[in-house]
Amino acid sequence: MTINRREFIKANAIAAAAAVAGVSVPAVASNLITSSDITKLKWDKAACRFCGTGCSVNVGVMDGKVVATHGDIKSPVNKGLNCVKGYFLSKIMYGKDRLTTPLLRMTNGKYDKEGEFTPISWDQAFNVMAEKANDALKKDGPEAIGMFGSGQWTVQEGYAASKLMKAGFRTNNIDPNARHCMASAVGGFMRTFGIDEPMGCYDDLEAADAFVLWGSNMAEMHPILWTRLTDRRLSAPHVKVAVLSTFEHRSFDLADNGMIFTPQTDLAILNYIAHYIIKTDRVNKDFVNKHTNFRMGETDIGYGLRPEHPLEQKAKNNGKTKGSSTPINFDEYAKFVSTYTVEYTSKLSGVPEHKLEALAEMYADPKVKVTSFWTMGFNQHTRGVWANNLVYNIHLLTGKISTPGNSPFSLTGQPSACGTAREVGTFSHRLPADMVVANPKHRAIAEKIWDLPEGTIPPKPGYHAVLQNRMLKDGKLNFYWVQCNNNMQAAANINEEVYPGYRNPKNFIVVSDPYPTVTAQAADLILPTAMWVEKEGVYGNAERRTQSWYQMVEAPTGAKSDMWQLVEFSKRFKVEDVWPEELIAKKPDVRGKTLFDVLYKDSSVGKFSLDEIPEDRLNDESRHFGFYIQKGLFEEYATFGRGHAHDLAPYDRYHKERGLRWPVVDGKETKWRFKEGSDPYVKPGSGWDFYGKKDGRAIIFALPYEPAAESPDEEYDLWLSTGRVLEHWHSGSMTQRVPELYKAMPDALVYMHPDDAKSRNMRRGDLVKLISRRGEVQTRVETRGRNKPPKGLVYMPWFDASRLVNKVTLDATDPLSKETDYKKCAIKIEKV
Amino acid sequence: MTQKNHRAPEYHVASLVASPILAQLEEVKAVITSVEGAEIHAVSDEGKIVFTVEGTGFKDLDKKIDIIRVHKGILNVSPVYHQVLDESADEKAKEQYSEVTIKK
Repeated sequence: MTINRREFIKANAIAAAAAVAGVSVPAVASNLITSSDITKLKWDKAACRFCGTGCSVNVGVMDGKVVATHGDIKSPVNKGLNCVKGYFLSKIMYGKDRLTTPLLRMTNGKYDKEGEFTPISWDQAFNVMAEKANDALKKDGPEAIGMFGSGQWTVQEGYAASKLMKAGFRTNNIDPNARHCMASAVGGFMRTFGIDEPMGCYDDLEAADAFVLWGSNMAEMHPILWTRLTDRRLSAPHVKVAVLSTFEHRSFDLADNGMIFTPQTDLAILNYIAHYIIKTDRVNKDFVNKHTNFRMGETDIGYGLRPEHPLEQKAKNNGKTKGSSTPINFDEYAKFVSTYTVEYTSKLSGVPEHKLEALAEMYADPKVKVTSFWTMGFNQHTRGVWANNLVYNIHLLTGKISTPGNSPFSLTGQPSACGTAREVGTFSHRLPADMVVANPKHRAIAEKIWDLPEGTIPPKPGYHAVLQNRMLKDGKLNFYWVQCNNNMQAAANINEEVYPGYRNPKNFIVVSDPYPTVTAQAADLILPTAMWVEKEGVYGNAERRTQSWYQMVEAPTGAKSDMWQLVEFSKRFKVEDVWPEELIAKKPDVRGKTLFDVLYKDSSVGKFSLDEIPEDRLNDESRHFGFYIQKGLFEEYATFGRGHAHDLAPYDRYHKERGLRWPVVDGKETKWRFKEGSDPYVKPGSGWDFYGKKDGRAIIFALPYEPAAESPDEEYDLWLSTGRVLEHWHSGSMTQRVPELYKAMPDALVYMHPDDAKSRNMRRGDLVKLISRRGEVQTRVETRGRNKPPKGLVYMPWFDASRLVNKVTLDATDPLSKETDYKKCAIKIEKV
Repeated sequence: MTQKNHRAPEYHVASLVASPILAQLEEVKAVITSVEGAEIHAVSDEGKIVFTVEGTGFKDLDKKIDIIRVHKGILNVSPVYHQVLDESADEKAKEQYSEVTIKK
């Protein structure tokens, strides 16, 4: 039969969806999908670019342009499905205002901090960058140089950046925007287990009997995982879902037990559950005796504000001891949590007693396999590390951990928050494979792998994300490069703590981005950047799955990938420009070489030839530099983790797989860590082995409820919580390029309880001002939206560049993780 | 081909899978078929609806999907496949997609 081209692609579309839904397809369609080569469409797999779920998508390219996408049926993560964000992936690269030339602020042909953005060449851009970086180095040394990166960097980009900063420029002032997102989760893992990232995997979704969502709106934020959870709930009637949040959102649609709690009281609820488990004698004593220790944590640790802030003056233990703890026994722990009675917790949290009891019973019942999910509600919290520790307590007390369906599971927001930020260690205190710069043994390992002299890596942790902004403002960080994020929109307290630093005349700010974001516009130099399948890369998702993709299309002429920019820039510096003489003397053969030679070309990064790249593949970076740089960076990075419970497979294998979950040992991925039989690192006969700790025991921490940094009072009488809505991921710098997504949710509204609006004489659609002690922002009132706050709390998404809610938020952070609490501050609302 | 004088330079097609609340299956099906350019192709034993939406641009497609997506009887709508045909350069397109013969 003959069909036209529209019918042809429609039949393809039907066949793909039918396969996903498990229904039979008409014969024509099934023939068609195998005949797709005749359309000249070239299909290839890539990891989705949007969130930490790590879906695989098939990308269809024709005439050098992405024209089609579909969910990858071979992907164990999304099983052929997409979500609304992934759906529009093909358009993300084709926004009208895509940048294609470097832009420098200039007046009369010369750089001028107050000048207008003027197109310049890449050569000119690197000239001025090198000059400014050298000035900063000469004046104040490596500490005057810094970089802010991203969990959207590919693994290779993050690794190249980390090496350039920590070994090249010898500064630890590099941090990813994952600091805003995942740092508390990292802190929680390291403190309880001594090793980062979840022990479970997405297979828990099909194995659990109960799901608890803590400060996570999966329905909107992780739609694919939510689809899997929905399928499980609907196909197995005994499965129950509990949802906890400070306001009602779409995930409540499926909740058997929906709970709205007063901000910050999640800490009390977590302790109450532990108390309930003990009180009803459901502690898994055998597990607890063999595999855990108990410790009492330090309390009254402050709020990570500037030292002169009254709250920091008042805090007793916000100094070096804030993360410390002392050993206790089970009875002391039981006594500690016994104050969290159902009556006390209900009164404090506002959650009815019967709902708290139902939740606690779910965890306590030994027959119920429980998976807990959380995201920013726990992490963006002035006690975020504690919240993570406390949920582990519950799973450890009951032994519900590391087995299918029993899983405390921290979800991530960015596509490679795990792969790049955490595993590569692009944080200011970290090195790859969970190592830290403060540990001399760890530095020595890194210096050996990098073939650099002892003492190259500075021992002092650098400026973390929030501190970078403060140091820019204070004029101590003078050369600053931002890649792959939009911090002028994403950081808290923009008016007081972010913008002033970017515009400080002492500083030179470079921003690399595909689009003119608000951060780019606050910079002195903007570098046009290639994205996603315009380059080859690797991402690591929330379940330890590492995925790779090839470059599929050329970037717009003039746009270059973050990695190309970093590595090309490194050619501008001779080792003598940046290293002291005594360091060079330890390895005289580096004299006269450039950082490009020492860090990339002549190191193990440069050892894979171009012949290893399939001939029909694009690879702009490798062909420019003369070696297979993505493979070189990956393989060198992988040597850090192999044999140390972070094993990655050989690079080439990832091009053939839909990802593999590390540790990959003897070619096999690991689904559940710390459990004998599923994790090759567990000592035989031990059952469970939390080998991140020397004695193989995880820690159950006694940590109290402590109040938020700021709570409503008479004048500022409402809680403000911020977050995202499904249509706008990250800061909206990508999704707002897509008119359809923008249209669906055009402006960030403030979601209010109808009674709160009424008592302030406000109606839906009214223009209002949100005012805090730090700033104000105008927006419109929504009383009927999908987010339904309780009385006393309002919610506003943060994606809207024209309505920057972070002018209002407080830059209080978790003192342990340095992650900002975007979920709680006090405001008042006035009609405009 | 009858599209020679079509004003829209692009043709979009997307396929999706919707998971309705089973009690509202018929209602959800009616909503989908009421949307112009939307067509149901199959319903699985579990009630999952396989449908396509055709349109003239992302904007058009999105509007149509939104009508379906916000319906209260739907727990999830998952897009599966999307493709755009550039029909602005008709000659070029003809060459690329000259009618193909499929063996049955």
